[in-house]
Amino acid sequence: MKRTPMKTLRIGFIPLVDAAIAIAAVECDFAEREDLKIELVREVSWANIRDKLASEIFDAAHMLAPLAVATSLGIGHLKAPLAVPFGLNANGNCITVSSSLYRLIEDVLGHAPVGPVESASAMRIITERRKQMGAPPLSFGVVFPFSIHAILIRHWLELGGVDIENCVQFVVVPPPFMVENLSSGVIEGYCVGEPWNSRAVENGVGCILVFGSDLNRFAPDKVLAMRESLTRENTGAVGKLLRAYKAAALWCGDPANRGNLAQILSKPEYLNVAPKTVLNALNGTLPVNRTENRRDANFLTLGDALVNYPDPRRASWLYAQIRRSRGEAVTAAEERAAAAVYRPDLYEAALGAGPDLAELDPVALNFGASMPEPAGR
Amino acid sequence: MIDQARILIIDENHARAAIIEEGLREAGHVNVSWLNTTHNLLAQIAAIDPEIIVIDLGSPNRDVLEQMFQVSRLVKRPVAMFVDKSDSASMRDAMLAGVSAYVVDGLKKERVQPILEMCVQRFQVFSELQDELDSARAALSDRKLIDRAKGLLMAAKSLSEPDAYALMRKAAMNEKRRISDIAADILKNEKAFK
Repeated sequence: MKRTPMKTLRIGFIPLVDAAIAIAAVECDFAEREDLKIELVREVSWANIRDKLASEIFDAAHMLAPLAVATSLGIGHLKAPLAVPFGLNANGNCITVSSSLYRLIEDVLGHAPVGPVESASAMRIITERRKQMGAPPLSFGVVFPFSIHAILIRHWLELGGVDIENCVQFVVVPPPFMVENLSSGVIEGYCVGEPWNSRAVENGVGCILVFGSDLNRFAPDKVLAMRESLTRENTGAVGKLLRAYKAAALWCGDPANRGNLAQILSKPEYLNVAPKTVLNALNGTLPVNRTENRRDANFLTLGDALVNYPDPRRASWLYAQIRRSRGEAVTAAEERAAAAVYRPDLYEAALGAGPDLAELDPVALNFGASMPEPAGR
Repeated sequence: MIDQARILIIDENHARAAIIEEGLREAGHVNVSWLNTTHNLLAQIAAIDPEIIVIDLGSPNRDVLEQMFQVSRLVKRPVAMFVDKSDSASMRDAMLAGVSAYVVDGLKKERVQPILEMCVQRFQVFSELQDELDSARAALSDRKLIDRAKGLLMAAKSLSEPDAYALMRKAAMNEKRRISDIAADILKNEKAFK
């Protein structure tokens, strides 16, 4: 049978461990088996990823899940319709604080903090004292205003009852500059993916307080986002891409392949770091302070039906968190528009029925009552 | 025509920033500043109080600036990305050239458009110059490789210079490769010739 040649899909990515599926789909021939050509383009900022999708320079991209929702709704600098047919990962991030803030937390508690609630309670006392002394708010670094990192660090502080609006401020810092900004005192802590947490511990400038997976087993991090026009112009390519990504997700999710995956991701054209560093993130084994290592099998989840399936309730939930972080009200109309960004129809057309879904999305469920339910339903 | 709009160029590449600045000045824009460092960026931007900010897309600090424009009280007026909704091709051209622009709220499109066009054009000129420089460098290093391999062949096989070159050329044609690749192979196997 003669095959008609397909247009090459141009897909943007940021060099992070959670781009694993996007990279493995190309490197391990999952795309080729679908007779699909992909050109991967490395980018340096999330704003570039957003704008190149909006101006159709990219067909699809590795993108922060909340950014895909925000961009579709026009929250932020740009409005452009995007479609999310596949989730790339859950978790993989940590909350790291400076060594001096860590010592303060120990002093307040009288012992090393155990678990996020305890450390967050200490943060309430520390931030209140600072406020009484007239000290400026504590600064924390996040990777982008619309990111699970911003949501997680807020959630953690709320667990301890910290007055976020008055005692804390969030600044955007590109991941490669986090450690430097922590050691120079520009920020007192941050939420970011690996290797930028273990790097702070290894350099003796910070300690890892919380794994993202401590706060939520399914915290949605990056997704495959595509320009919405592609889903109408070329359903064939979308189907091929999703089948390639599903195969890559299963391969990446198998612990037996981690060594190979670490080798691929560490290449100069991708992450350009030591394979061992990538492997530690894949295994969820990190140094958390000068004396201790910690392992969590759920530290980073790549291939999992609940993570990969684009559950629209997750998009509504992300939308609610975005509006809330800006002190703005949610509306039922926007919530519907947010839900429509996630496209189970595309997923199911390519891959068959999705997973059995629980009555409540595990993301919203695991964050518990402190996170608001979206408005109208 | 003199235009007083305060324009700020944020670019790590000094040479490129100079080319853009020159273009803008020639077009009558007298208030052009340039920043290349992220050190205390916010305070520096506040001091300049720009109305139009042109940023190189190669900088990861673009994400930092975007958030500053949205939340900081130091930046006096709201700053938005400049997107010409009536002309999607212009955003695409700017992205492909590697530049994006932010403007303070209320600045008219007619005023911003020619400035952005000038920047896009100068970015393109710069990347063409860069490409030419890169290919000139590559050609130079190819020539050095070929000369060294030729010398090696002349000594090892007692060939004249034209004969040594002809031998490499023939190999390149037979193998459908570039002469410089053949030269590199010869140099890699230098020991075999000694």
